[in-house]
Amino acid sequence: MVLTRHLYRRLMRRARVIWLVVLASVPGLIFAIAGIDVSTDDLTEAFLGIMLSVGFTYAIAALILTVSTLRDERDAGTLPYIYMRPIPRVSLAISSLLAGVLAAATIAVGGWITTVLAGLLHGADMSVVMPSAALLLAAAVGYAAVFVPVGYLFSRSVLVGLGYLVLLELALSGLVSGLAQLSIWRIAASIYVDMVDTTGIPVDEVLGAVAPGVGGGLVKLGVVLVLGLGVLTWALRRRDAL
Amino acid sequence: MTNTVEVTGLSKWFGPKVAVSEVTIGFGPGVTGLLGPNGAGKTTLMRVIAGLQVPSQGTISVLGRDPRADSSVYGSMALVPEDEAVYEHLTGRRFVELAARLAKVDDPKGRAQSVLETVELTDAADRALGGYSKGMRQRAKVAAALVPDPEVLLLDEPLNGADPVQRAQLIGLFKELGAAGRTVIVSSHVLREVERMADRVVAMVDGRLAAVGSVATIRAAMTDKPRQVFVDCTDPRSLASELIGTPNVIGVHVNGAQLMIEAADAREVALQLPGLATRRGVSISRIEPADESLESVFRYLVEGR
Repeated sequence: MVLTRHLYRRLMRRARVIWLVVLASVPGLIFAIAGIDVSTDDLTEAFLGIMLSVGFTYAIAALILTVSTLRDERDAGTLPYIYMRPIPRVSLAISSLLAGVLAAATIAVGGWITTVLAGLLHGADMSVVMPSAALLLAAAVGYAAVFVPVGYLFSRSVLVGLGYLVLLELALSGLVSGLAQLSIWRIAASIYVDMVDTTGIPVDEVLGAVAPGVGGGLVKLGVVLVLGLGVLTWALRRRDAL
Repeated sequence: MTNTVEVTGLSKWFGPKVAVSEVTIGFGPGVTGLLGPNGAGKTTLMRVIAGLQVPSQGTISVLGRDPRADSSVYGSMALVPEDEAVYEHLTGRRFVELAARLAKVDDPKGRAQSVLETVELTDAADRALGGYSKGMRQRAKVAAALVPDPEVLLLDEPLNGADPVQRAQLIGLFKELGAAGRTVIVSSHVLREVERMADRVVAMVDGRLAAVGSVATIRAAMTDKPRQVFVDCTDPRSLASELIGTPNVIGVHVNGAQLMIEAADAREVALQLPGLATRRGVSISRIEPADESLESVFRYLVEGR
């Protein structure tokens, strides 16, 4: 926990957190503006649509934050202070992933609060707003599992991560059904749509070949976490730390 | 003496650049000075020993364990990296306490206070590291490295930025650790200081080992380099003419009141000089070997490559 707390605090630099929370808050902000001209009956549909489509901005915020978990240490030359400790590499990897998940969850909460406030502003049904927390938290876990190892392995990790988001999540996973299962956003959305009434929402456009379901989504997230942990442990053992 | 660090057939390359090439060497208790010009491979060798970089070829063993495979070795090994990098937002005390907690030592606060006292940094311990001078940062890094009471201590340019008083204090500390049976490997470009603290010298040039041993041993092995001896005397020209043709003397240079003799064996010359001077009625006020220092030895090693 000492290492997790240290890495988390390092990630949570005030200036960075503020603008990343703003980025994660884009769906809520859009809903606050777009909801003005929407009738009360259509608010739920508008909210769901915005969360599923514009909520992707959270993925970019999570990317920028979580790749920094170990990358900041490597770039600053401070990694030896945590690497050269009698801590098994798998524990080092778990602590790093946990710090990444907590940091991503923190900005997710920030974005979610904006969304709730926007929902309250327009008198939206809170039963719809609450599951959005599950969407963002599921995305936080998935993106941390992918981007913490990416941050350790690649010096241009943000570019690599953007490549993953744009090429795989936005483009290829929509075109090739098998690749949809590799999309963190689609997995998180599959949990979300299972928790809300999506009547009238083009869910297939967001999920692609991924079936809605909380249980299935959690299992897939678990697999992503284990893979992320495996890759990071391997990298800590086999790749140069400086 | 048993080696605590064993480097066997080590090579490390980065793409086409070979940083360390086929190095085999052991380090045991005491202070060993690691010398070499910039780009010689000293930092890479230290990082590979520390387990921070993976050998491209060869093996590393520290206290019988491979640092890459067994992280428990870090309970007995520490590195002071060359980079100035520290956590600037932390105070010196927090930085050392963090090291103590990660090293899983009993009573992290007490241990941090103890090592801060050792490096004489207690007065500034509660100030942020970002406001520290370079020398103070070095001492904070040394304090963090001392936290686990390491058997093997790797110090990469630990005297950088330290003022003369701090240098003397750190050198004293490293010598104490070496005398206490710890394996201390120090890289430095300040040769006089290495000479003061190291029992043994390892010279690296172009990623390869150039020489290993005490300064005297290395100098003695350089049979192709004549020894230089400076002599201050009342009549250097007269003494020079007496020396020319003497067996063992290779060359003689007169510079004002000083005579510089190049000889295959400086000791032999020193023994001959009184007799030769008496014969010429010359009185000698000083005889000094000119190139027995680490600086001279190192210059020969680098120039010879």
